[in-house]
Amino acid sequence: MKTLVIIPAYNEEGSIASVIRDIHRFAPSVDIVVINDGSTDRTKQRATEAGAKVLTLPYNVGIGGGMQTGYIYAKQHGYEIAIQMDADGQHLASELPKLIAQTEQYDLVIGSRYVENTSYRSSLLRRVGMVFFSNLVTLVTGQRFTDTTSGFRAAGPRVIDLYAKYYPMDYPEVEALIYLKRKGCRITEVATEMRNRETGKSSITPIKSVYYMVKVTLSVLMSAIRYDRAAVSK
Amino acid sequence: MAIYVLSVSLAFAFLLIVLELVRRQKLKEQYSLLWILFSVTLLIISFNVSFIEWIADKLGVKYAPAILFLFGLLFSFALILHLTIVITRLTSQVLRLAQEVTILKEREVPHGQND
Repeated sequence: MKTLVIIPAYNEEGSIASVIRDIHRFAPSVDIVVINDGSTDRTKQRATEAGAKVLTLPYNVGIGGGMQTGYIYAKQHGYEIAIQMDADGQHLASELPKLIAQTEQYDLVIGSRYVENTSYRSSLLRRVGMVFFSNLVTLVTGQRFTDTTSGFRAAGPRVIDLYAKYYPMDYPEVEALIYLKRKGCRITEVATEMRNRETGKSSITPIKSVYYMVKVTLSVLMSAIRYDRAAVSK
Repeated sequence: MAIYVLSVSLAFAFLLIVLELVRRQKLKEQYSLLWILFSVTLLIISFNVSFIEWIADKLGVKYAPAILFLFGLLFSFALILHLTIVITRLTSQVLRLAQEVTILKEREVPHGQND
């Protein structure tokens, strides 16, 4: 199976090279594309030196736009599996085979921190948010999800196609899930270990997280009631 | 009556400005139609004082010229909403262009040389 790992990166010069080296080590057959989202540091050089293909966006388009660039690239180059992974080292390359294995039966496989008890610990506020979104998504889709905000995902050909057409823009993880459910995709979660980030810092500040909650809730509800012409005509 | 005189001259000046902008190609005909319609309407109702007073009377507005402000404000809101819709569309078009260019750029030059 032709497999591509998509790593969106914005100013991640500190961690990008080791992320790429880990992927080479644990999944030597996959291709890697780094979406350099208008970084102002040496992210591009570090990623190129480590042996990844780098796509450099002309300006910062945000995580959703960057991610979608990867999916468009995957579609144009005929990849059958596309895996998204964070550039900060949070996701472990050693877990890649576990995700890939499940793509035979599912359109999307999400690496979850919470399916089983893993060593990952997050702040109270973050956990409250996670539980809230998890319940919201369960309510809307009727499927139980434990880690709706996980950015560690493996997509099959159908999802690559759908994401190349539409991908939500800022804070996209939750809405991207609902979109697939609305299109009738089969989605599963697998338990994955995740590290706490090593370098750089999270872009989520307290004020942003309030905006995040409101924005994502609105977009989830809107996706849920969106009149879907494509689904109706089929 | 001063407000009506002011209103008529402003509406007229506005119409001229819009037409001049279209002539200089600073404003697309498509968008100018709305503005022309707006200034002509303003012109007509400003001339027609009794019409304003009639509406004010029907709506129970004591100060008739306030009607002008009300409709001006409503029109502005509608126009701003329209513009944010246009911006939303432009944003996704520009994003798609950036994505396509990024992928094309990589294809064009050998790996590692695309600066």
